[in-house]
Amino acid sequence: MEKELIQTDADLIELSKKDPEIFGLLMERYQGQLFHYIRRMTQLPVDDIQDLLQEVFIKIYQKLNEYDEVLKFSSWAYRIAHNHIIDYFRKTNARPQTNSLEDYEWEKIVNASIHVEKDIMNKDCVEKVKECINQLPIKYKEVLILRFLEEKEYEEIMDILKKPKGSVATLIARGKDALTKKMKEKNINCF
Amino acid sequence: MKDLIKDTIVKIKKEHILPESKWKYLARKYGVWFLFVLVVIFGGVSLSAAAYLLSSLDWDLYRFMHQNRVGYLLSIFPYFWAVLAGAFIIGAFFDMRKTETGYRFSWLKISLITFGSILVLGAVMFFAGLGGRFNSMMANGVPYYGQHMMVTKESQWMQPQNGLLAGTVVASSDKSLILNDLIGKKWDIKIGNETLIRPIADISQGQMIKVIGKKMTDDQFEASEIRPWIGGGMMGGVGGGQRNGMGAGRGMMRGN
Repeated sequence: MEKELIQTDADLIELSKKDPEIFGLLMERYQGQLFHYIRRMTQLPVDDIQDLLQEVFIKIYQKLNEYDEVLKFSSWAYRIAHNHIIDYFRKTNARPQTNSLEDYEWEKIVNASIHVEKDIMNKDCVEKVKECINQLPIKYKEVLILRFLEEKEYEEIMDILKKPKGSVATLIARGKDALTKKMKEKNINCF
Repeated sequence: MKDLIKDTIVKIKKEHILPESKWKYLARKYGVWFLFVLVVIFGGVSLSAAAYLLSSLDWDLYRFMHQNRVGYLLSIFPYFWAVLAGAFIIGAFFDMRKTETGYRFSWLKISLITFGSILVLGAVMFFAGLGGRFNSMMANGVPYYGQHMMVTKESQWMQPQNGLLAGTVVASSDKSLILNDLIGKKWDIKIGNETLIRPIADISQGQMIKVIGKKMTDDQFEASEIRPWIGGGMMGGVGGGQRNGMGAGRGMMRGN
């Protein structure tokens, strides 16, 4: 009964500190978003993504006292997830991949970067675009994913990546430019 | 697909995982701010000491030392304090960037905040007279600094070979002075008709003065200009006792 009455993230955080069961409600709210974020940032099988997500949630639980209400809880949770992913890549010496994106997700990034005349890209074109995006540096890929797939506002990306708003805007613009340039270099003109 | 929520809660309970205590987080958070304040204070100290040294030196001596302005400035610049102040400004910049909300400020804003706060604090310390004290503390505490790295008014004026001398007047007459220099050596200072004595330069016994001129022998010095120890001696000169056609405020010549 009490659980149903609780509405805000801040309330859930306070109660979670005393009762881990309540933390379950917070996890329920954000597990979908964070799962997809980890999937988009990594190229891991579902089980591995879930393992990473569990580690992220445990980190969030351990850091509950650090949460500051000036931030949106989702931004703070994304930040922890982002840092955890970077740590994971560092530990495993792997590079973040974006191959695991769905076709509609590739289209979103490309649509945001260049003028698309046709609504639907053909399969061959998608493969070529994937290759181009994969060659972008991680700093561009992560902002493009956050902005166009996670549909985060600039302020949220700023809080997630801990970068000034101007830097976020610059990274997004440069990422889009880099993608367009790469596609021109490779003579990809299938839109 | 496993039940992530259930599994996570079981793991938290089983492994007795608890949220980290708040004080640890607060200690980290305020620790960074405390460090920022400390760095700004040290930056202010360095800046005020540099300003003190620059303000206490005489800036027109390049003319007498056959140097250009830039060369002279480079020879008297307080590099030690300037480098220190620069290092603290950079330190404050990165420390502020490391604070909880530091990332929200642009590079320009952080630069302005850090540089501005060090500048303001340095100015307050300088006008409160602390710059000289910090400099003395450094000179006393670190002998190497006092002996080799510090250009002071004293070192600037104790260069008889370059025509600069300072000390206390022991005896004076119309044609000469006996001067006890800053290291206790006695000099016979010749005063000629062309010697310019700045308006507020007092050359009576017991007064400290600065002399510009030419070293004649080991203990004789010919004065071309005499200034009071403090300042350039220009104040009070307007309309005050000019001789030999010198412009108002420039001083007076002896001998007529």
